[in-house]
Amino acid sequence: MLSFIAHRLLSTVVVMAIVAVCIFLLLHLSPGDPAAIIVGDNATQLQIDAVRKQLGLDDPLAVQFARWLVGILNGDLGVSIFSHEPVSKLIGQRIEPTVSLALTTLVFAVIIAISFGVLAAWKIGTWIDRLVMVLSVLSFSVPVFVVGYLLIYVFSIKLGWLPVQGYAPIVDGFDIWIRHLILPSVALGLAYVALIARITRTAMLDALAEDYIRTARAKGVATGPVLMKHALKNAGVPILTVIGIGIALLIGGVVITETVFNIPGIGRLVVDAISQRDYPIIQGVTLIFSGVYVIVNLLVDLSYTLIDPRIRY
Amino acid sequence: MATSRRMFVKGTVASAATMSAPGLLSAQTTPSQAHTVRAVLHGDLKVFDPIWTTANMTGNHALLIYDTLFGLDDARNVQPQMVDKWSISDDKKTYTFTLRDGLKFHDGQAVTSSDVVASVRRWAARDGAAQHLFKRVADTPIKDDNTFAIVLKEPYGLVLEALAKIETNLPVIMRKKDAETDPNQQVTTKVGSGPFRFNEDETKSGQRYVYDKFAGYAPRKEPPSGMAGGKIAKVDRVIIENMADEQTAVAALKAGEIDFYEIPPIDLLDQLEGDKNIKLDVLNKGGNVGMCRLNWLHPPFDKVEARQAMLYLIKQEDILKAVFGNPKYYRSCASLFACTGQMQSDVNTDWFKGGQNIAKARELFTKAGYDGRPVVILQATNIAFMNNASLLVAQWLKEAGVNAELAASDWGAVITRRAVKKPVAEGGWNIFITWGSGEGFDNPIGFVAHTANGEAGWFGWPKDDLHETLRDDWALASTLEERKAVARKLQENAWNYVPMALLGQWAPPVARRANVSGFIPLPAHVPFWNVEKT
Repeated sequence: MLSFIAHRLLSTVVVMAIVAVCIFLLLHLSPGDPAAIIVGDNATQLQIDAVRKQLGLDDPLAVQFARWLVGILNGDLGVSIFSHEPVSKLIGQRIEPTVSLALTTLVFAVIIAISFGVLAAWKIGTWIDRLVMVLSVLSFSVPVFVVGYLLIYVFSIKLGWLPVQGYAPIVDGFDIWIRHLILPSVALGLAYVALIARITRTAMLDALAEDYIRTARAKGVATGPVLMKHALKNAGVPILTVIGIGIALLIGGVVITETVFNIPGIGRLVVDAISQRDYPIIQGVTLIFSGVYVIVNLLVDLSYTLIDPRIRY
Repeated sequence: MATSRRMFVKGTVASAATMSAPGLLSAQTTPSQAHTVRAVLHGDLKVFDPIWTTANMTGNHALLIYDTLFGLDDARNVQPQMVDKWSISDDKKTYTFTLRDGLKFHDGQAVTSSDVVASVRRWAARDGAAQHLFKRVADTPIKDDNTFAIVLKEPYGLVLEALAKIETNLPVIMRKKDAETDPNQQVTTKVGSGPFRFNEDETKSGQRYVYDKFAGYAPRKEPPSGMAGGKIAKVDRVIIENMADEQTAVAALKAGEIDFYEIPPIDLLDQLEGDKNIKLDVLNKGGNVGMCRLNWLHPPFDKVEARQAMLYLIKQEDILKAVFGNPKYYRSCASLFACTGQMQSDVNTDWFKGGQNIAKARELFTKAGYDGRPVVILQATNIAFMNNASLLVAQWLKEAGVNAELAASDWGAVITRRAVKKPVAEGGWNIFITWGSGEGFDNPIGFVAHTANGEAGWFGWPKDDLHETLRDDWALASTLEERKAVARKLQENAWNYVPMALLGQWAPPVARRANVSGFIPLPAHVPFWNVEKT
């Protein structure tokens, strides 16, 4: 087990190194000049050139990359070209909204999706099964921003139940914190619900066809324990796998959701940075996201051993 | 230990109370919603130094926390602001200024002549209009703490107008120690002497920027008028929210979560007009003027006939209608100086009065020796006006027999490529679309797009010696009437040699909650003094 973890962590370093090189080259070879954006549209070329020099953007690409790499190896993600604030500080300021949104989305999606998936498998072939599948297809097909605008229109503008936008830190109170997260979590979570619900249904159908389920029923075990204790536990591995894969979906969705609901998280930070070519922020956030993705998948792999004792590393 | 239901309920209530406490405490120490105005402006505030950048968001920040020596009133007359009195010597070469009593910075220090001179000199190192003025400045002596002078080498007609400049870079007054920062380096402190002070603790970069009423500000006694008169902060706090999504901002305005939205999307204006809680006002009467910048360095626009062809090719009405829809908010305009300012005229605009003439444009391109080579238009697809105008211009060029090619990218990439002076085949360009404020267009000296000094000038690099001479004449003219006469000559000459083609003028409204009023109409910026909430 320990050697497996060590091996995976080592591969994480390699993955992040490749990501670092790719993101640096992609950013610096694509068109766009932060110096021209900083000084404003009415600036002259002389003013733009002066800022380029001051920011070190006229240095050879290799020099810029080496400078950034040395910083990374020293734990320094660099400084924002625009605000002059350390990228690590900016990410630190934005991490709470993003983690809050990701967690509430995950809780919402997993609870709803597994319930629906189990229900659909149990009621296979009935209108309930078909309804769950139709809703899954719809949830997966409608873009996050469309769902977001619909939710805002109904629950914020028409009914006035929930805020349109913004984020309240949890220290301001749990009620205000959760009120700001309900709509974004639902908007972001629907696609995730669809993905997990479909996999849950399929995995449950496979499990329910197994001999041990027939045995359990023959022994007179009630439907609830058959579904939740015998079938769901054995259907857990593919469900956990898809939850892990879905983290990438979640990361991509966070960027859009934070923009639609004006949540000051890491997604907004990176969207703003891309439009302004704030290279250090984009590079820093991409590195962090890739690290998170790799580690989450490692945790998912490790969690297999908890639900299936046959799996050993 | 077993947990009883009663204990669980007690624990939950206690936890909720604990978690809510900071919010309650915070509510007691911050201004109430009734005294706070929340606004969404046109972008995010990334740079805080209004001398270092020409970004209008930074200009908005500057108007809140800094003050200026002079200001233009609603009628565009220069009025004193920080200055109490001033005099001009008989030879018109020495301007002496005395500051008002009671001016102080947000750190409590008095504003002195040293602060002012250092600020004006730093501004002069960055701003085009200031540089034009300072070419003629011999000295800026400090007489005492409240008195200083500007001594000229020769009389110059726009000294006060430059100091009252309303476009970026704004001539704001900083503390001497801030103003002594290298003009090529950003000032990162935010300490001014304006009606609001920057609240660093409550500000969250990229999310919201908080400004509190500065109790130590001494406003002028005159009623507010443009940038002149009393800048009275009538609310305790102004919060500038950074909201990237237009739909969300409109929804937030309708729900009362924000009070002011600077640029509501045109296609949602009908929806806002139908809401009794929302009011729409056109604050920036001059609005913006679209322009089609032509690259003078390469064919076909190195030939005057090709540039003249563009005048006949463009139908402003079609572009404006495609982008802004409602004619209430736009107008066609052929004046080089926009159609709302003091310099406007219809001199030498017969090309415009005759309407679009594709056949004439085709004839002129032929005269220019156009050989069928690709004409590249930089198309910023993420900005509606630039995107739509590029598409229409490309279509008209094709109708005129020109091999127009659209180079689609975001605006960030356009502003990089527009600086490339190489031929199209090596990454250059022929046309890009942008706009300037109507107020800016009205000023031949202050507006960078009005330069015609070749490669030392602005993108497109037009060159015309007569134009440059006339710009100097305009600046040296001593009366408004003289300046208007020079402006007419400038326009007559311009529409012969064609520095650029115009795409029309538009002035969209801002949206505000009905209970928030008092916004002062200014070009390009939104001031928050005089704003009140009932």
